[in-house]
Amino acid sequence: MTPFLSGFMITLLFVGGVYFVAVLERCSMTGNVSWSGPARSFLLLFAQEEIKTRKHDKVFFETAPVLFIGVILLTISILPFGRGSVIIDLGTGALFINAALVYIMVSLLMAGWAVNGVYAMVGGWRALAQLIAYSMPVVMALTATVMRAESMFLTDIVESQQSLWNILYQPVGFILFYISALAIAFLPPFDLPVAEGELAGGVWADLTGARKLLFRLGRLALVLTLSVAVVVLYLGGWMGPWLPGFVWTFLKTLLVAASFFAVGHFMPRIRHDHLLEYNWKYGVPLALYNIFQVGVVLLL
Amino acid sequence: MISIQLIFLIIFGLAAIWFGWRVFMTSSMVRSALSLLASMVAIGALFLVMEAEFLGVLQIMMMGTEMSIMAIFMMMYMMDPGGLGNMDMSHQKNISIAAGVIVTVLIIGAALATDWGTIATQFPGPHEQNRLLGMEILKRSMMIFETAGVTILTGMIASIAVALSIKKSMEK
Repeated sequence: MTPFLSGFMITLLFVGGVYFVAVLERCSMTGNVSWSGPARSFLLLFAQEEIKTRKHDKVFFETAPVLFIGVILLTISILPFGRGSVIIDLGTGALFINAALVYIMVSLLMAGWAVNGVYAMVGGWRALAQLIAYSMPVVMALTATVMRAESMFLTDIVESQQSLWNILYQPVGFILFYISALAIAFLPPFDLPVAEGELAGGVWADLTGARKLLFRLGRLALVLTLSVAVVVLYLGGWMGPWLPGFVWTFLKTLLVAASFFAVGHFMPRIRHDHLLEYNWKYGVPLALYNIFQVGVVLLL
Repeated sequence: MISIQLIFLIIFGLAAIWFGWRVFMTSSMVRSALSLLASMVAIGALFLVMEAEFLGVLQIMMMGTEMSIMAIFMMMYMMDPGGLGNMDMSHQKNISIAAGVIVTVLIIGAALATDWGTIATQFPGPHEQNRLLGMEILKRSMMIFETAGVTILTGMIASIAVALSIKKSMEK
């Protein structure tokens, strides 16, 4: 397949994947599969009146949604969908994933603070505490995958799983990365920054129209991006028999995304203090143990 | 010769200075902290332009977290939600201006007086840079980094211990 054709296919599959994730999200909330639901929501937000709060911070108010979706698009551009199918093959790809995820936190903080509303501000600060806490296990789990590949190129990390996928080689790292991905995408049961029940939508409470649409679209793309990251780092990336590499990547990605929503569907929302406590008391020490364990196995 | 690299270097350099200036010209601590973040990201971009990929990505990643933490600490101390307090970020203006001018002149003087040698045309790729940096940190500079790391960790634990309120059950 020519590079142009594979690029076109990947874009098409990614856009389709985002739509599928939107269907999954509605299904996890309502229990019904509605194929036209996301399209109707899109049109509703697209045509909705733009309401701005009084005395909002103009710069942050306009920048936050663009920054949010921008960093997610940057992350997508470094993830390999197949052998040679990567837009930018960064020598520090593994570190870059975490660097980009940090700016999701910054954009949520900006959005929460800019609207000059109580619920949004509480949501913004919650996002800050949550994302700082859970980016620690992410970066430590990434370190262990880099140790095995002896390279930060994401393509090398996939190649290093030729004999055994990382989900089996470093299961502790996988569990930590998987849970942290849920927290970073603020999906249920970690949806505290945008909690509908207690904060009336949190960071997004006062946003309408295009800005909310950008955030909603960005979150769907974020879920898909983190699913691709799980596949690349732990599930052998594009590896699989018969089908082309990128088809395997997408099949695995959709499975991971579906499992994210299944977890959210069956788990109650975790209390904010418990959420932070679990991570700092158990998550971070486990992540350090994972690095130690992988190091020992590598040296043996 | 003016290359694209040099143009980007100048753009990001000017952006870093402009956002650095904005730190003192805003009226709220959160705006100030995020302006400083933008300045630091511009410096990270300077590293990327100079093909020091690891340092650039690391700078952009670290500063995002650090400046956000700074923003919440500032909020906790200053209590200025929404940034409506019209705070003044500058103090002791005459001394600050004098100190700023003197330091700027010294830095420019040092930059001009230093013999920078010839511009390197051969440099290792990003993968090799990562390896060399790892070797540096884990061999020659290990003691320095370990000392710095343990010192920072001690400081963090000490500050948390000092900030903790003693519960009645803990009192004898």
